[in-house]
Amino acid sequence: MALASVSDLSFAYPGSIPAVRDISLELEAGEIVALLGPSGSGKSTLLRALAGLVPHFHGGTFSGRVVVAGLDTRTSGPADLAGTVASVFQDPEDQIVMTRVENEVAFGLENLGVPPEQIWPRTHAALAQVGAGHLAERRTVELSGGELQRVCLASALALEPQLLLLDEPTSQLDAEGADAFLAHVEQARCAVVLSEQRVDRALAIADRVIMMEEGRIVLDAPVAEARGWLSTRRPRYGGGAVPDDPSPSVPGGQPLVRLDDVHFAYGGGPEVLGGASLVVHRGEIVALEGRNGSGKTTLARIAAGLVQPTSGTVARDGRATYLSQDPGRHLVRETALDEVALGVNGDQVRAAAALERFGLTFATSRHPRDLSSGERERLGIAAISVSEPDLLVLDEPTRGIDPDRKAALSEWLLEQAASGRAVLVATHDPLLPAHRRVRLGQPLEVPVAV
Amino acid sequence: MSPGPATALLAAVATAGFLVDRLWALAAMVVILVAVCLRAPVERRFIYISGALFSALGVIVISPLMWSSGGGTLLWEGPTLPVIGPIDISTDEIQIAVVNGLRLAVVALAFSAYTLLVDHDRLVSAAGFARRSALAVALATRLVPTLERDAAGMADSVRGRGVHLHGARGYATLLSPLVAGSLERATGLAEAMEARGFGRSGATRAPRPPWAYADYVALGGAVVLVGVAALWL
Repeated sequence: MALASVSDLSFAYPGSIPAVRDISLELEAGEIVALLGPSGSGKSTLLRALAGLVPHFHGGTFSGRVVVAGLDTRTSGPADLAGTVASVFQDPEDQIVMTRVENEVAFGLENLGVPPEQIWPRTHAALAQVGAGHLAERRTVELSGGELQRVCLASALALEPQLLLLDEPTSQLDAEGADAFLAHVEQARCAVVLSEQRVDRALAIADRVIMMEEGRIVLDAPVAEARGWLSTRRPRYGGGAVPDDPSPSVPGGQPLVRLDDVHFAYGGGPEVLGGASLVVHRGEIVALEGRNGSGKTTLARIAAGLVQPTSGTVARDGRATYLSQDPGRHLVRETALDEVALGVNGDQVRAAAALERFGLTFATSRHPRDLSSGERERLGIAAISVSEPDLLVLDEPTRGIDPDRKAALSEWLLEQAASGRAVLVATHDPLLPAHRRVRLGQPLEVPVAV
Repeated sequence: MSPGPATALLAAVATAGFLVDRLWALAAMVVILVAVCLRAPVERRFIYISGALFSALGVIVISPLMWSSGGGTLLWEGPTLPVIGPIDISTDEIQIAVVNGLRLAVVALAFSAYTLLVDHDRLVSAAGFARRSALAVALATRLVPTLERDAAGMADSVRGRGVHLHGARGYATLLSPLVAGSLERATGLAEAMEARGFGRSGATRAPRPPWAYADYVALGGAVVLVGVAALWL
């Protein structure tokens, strides 16, 4: 008998078109399923339905049937399913409840009414299982993004679930952090449904692949068969090969920003940059690579003029704009039009033209936070490019975006370089095109919230 | 040490800071509290310790200029300013300023040690409060650094477009999106909590370690400290 079965599931969030339509599938105990698809294809909604969060938490119009370990989600809510099902979401910051790591892992066990004498042994076993035993006494605000996400995984595994649901859990992690996280997922002794945009890594640990588009399942096959299907029908998801970079020769443009022997330290902390030098020329894309904490973001912010180095010199010839990580969280105006117009002194004509360029005309008078994550990211890019700067500085622009959007972003970057702008991109993504790649510093775990 | 006795001891030290007026006793409390705070991670303790000590220094430097004791030896006599009156410095004023500065340092450092080192989750749950109250405290504690990070991200987002925020009024424009962002985070957190069984009946509590000898000593020490400070120091 299947561990979970979904029959003819359709669901629409309140006031929206259906997010998933006519979904039917069965999940077997112990299998690892990679759930692929572009943003907005219904992956998260399917995971929420399996956890009972749809419809109980979100409301909306639900039809069909979802049964997990004999519990029908129409009559059993998320709290009833907790323990049988466990979830890890995209952003660890949005799921951490307690101030200490071991209390955080114990939180779910306490909710489930686990006998008190079993709580600490299960807590410490789960932390050890994900290689985070040494973090037990630490405060959650002191942990890096990678460490936090491992704590979230431990919190889920401590419940000893039969079904583990992972909704793009590595989107906030660098490549090495994502590898480590997925290695721990592979060791989980339960069925796993892993929604993931890092397709290669997901396929490497999966037994089976489900691909969704526009709310429907378009592929449900064992991984070997799925690889063939993806490589012929959805080559961007078939992935694997690193595409050729554009010509590595610098197009001979004038230097737009020059950093010489730049040092930087936050507050009284250790030095993040210890003598970095970099020149970015007009017409080229330069990729800044390195692990979390290697100083990519700091160097990008210095190049954009947002912070001054502790020592060293910065010479900038032209105007720079900067796109921060996770730009969808940092939108500051009441409508999309105002958001973009902010960069051009309120010029709504130029702002409207920029919205049209990024396919966001429909969102002109909508609140930015009413847009989907993909639309918010496009809005962020429209907001920094509307003023036609000489230098575009982007910080991890591909983090958490699907392969189609990544391809579109790559094309846009190449267009910008071809039009004579310079582009500096802090990234860990080898698939992003660049004329030059500069690797920074030593790996270092850094807190996400200090 | 358990969070209850640790908090009682820190509260006693802060109370004693108000009661004591001997310089050597206050200075000793400051030294001990700095040593305690140094047990916290370096990137967190810096702001707390430096904030406490610089505030105390400010009191010591500025307060002798702001009032006249009328006693002690007059060391310097300055001009008479409107509103403030005569500016002078005497030995009495310096001594009182140092006492007040050290008192401030004791209270601020005791609070810093509480914030940096005490396990708030366990403290509130150990107090036997309703579980939801304990959770509210934990979530409020976590909210501050998250808001701080979001505010910094928004400021960067605006400055990154070449727009400069001027003064309090400029930064006030970020308040509304900051609130909207925190509501969005709150919804995400509520969803994650429900998925982890929050609200289900029959919840249990993880057993807390029984009090050790040091905990009883700390609690007794807290009572003795306040008594000694009130009667002899």
